[in-house]
Amino acid sequence: MALSTTAEGPTRTSDFAELVEAHQAMVFSLAYHFLHDRTAAEEIAQDVFLELHLHVNELESSEHLISWLRRVALNRCIDEGRRRKRRREAQIEELPEPIAPAANVDQWTHERLRRLVATLPEHMRMVIVLRYQEDLDPEDIAAALHIPVNTVKSQLQRALQMLREKAGAVKRT
Amino acid sequence: MDHRQEDQFEYQLKSALHRQEPPNGFTVRVLARLEPARPEPWPQPWLHLPSLRWALACALGIAVFAGGWMFQQERRRAEGEAARQQVMLALRITGAKMQLAEARVRHLSER
Repeated sequence: MALSTTAEGPTRTSDFAELVEAHQAMVFSLAYHFLHDRTAAEEIAQDVFLELHLHVNELESSEHLISWLRRVALNRCIDEGRRRKRRREAQIEELPEPIAPAANVDQWTHERLRRLVATLPEHMRMVIVLRYQEDLDPEDIAAALHIPVNTVKSQLQRALQMLREKAGAVKRT
Repeated sequence: MDHRQEDQFEYQLKSALHRQEPPNGFTVRVLARLEPARPEPWPQPWLHLPSLRWALACALGIAVFAGGWMFQQERRRAEGEAARQQVMLALRITGAKMQLAEARVRHLSER
């Protein structure tokens, strides 16, 4: 949906509902893949759209809207991750591994990978989620996170290395 | 790990991190959370002043008290009127009987 429909402001609920429906999967998935918690992801996604309702008039184009949503969602995920650390909630590494079902090995592999992504340091996690969920190039990731492209590339390599090692370690156990 | 394995790993990662839809009714829940943020037409803003609220409460109290007092007065007046009517009726009956007795006495004395 082009942002021009909201140029007069978020007065029409139906216009805003269309915006939410168009981008809810992106925002929810960013939060879910970052935190690996569907309840927290929904809460964050709702908060992001409530904030969008306040700022939608300031956004100039669809691209601007998408980058704004990504940035706000990731900032909220980082805040939530830090809050959880302070509250010393059970870390994902401490939870038991999912049991492999005989029927759907792919599903089990994906769940295991999502859990491993959630154990990465927060900046690597952001880079991995933007690269593999949002399919962004290192240049786009660098622009989204306001960091140099070379930093993105090195974080991507290190994150992939860590994931492979962790995946290998899990396989061996 | 060779390139084919690397590609396979990245492919699996991409599949694992594909976009997922939030639980059903997500949009409705977002819109429901927008509702309380809208300004409510009532109560009027001036009603938020504490002094005005106190004044309204006092006026309401006085009106209730005055209404009760007036109701009591009216009931007492009606009861008094009813008693007066009964006394007047009794006097009329007594007067009539007196006249009857007087007429009989006069009749007997004339005989």
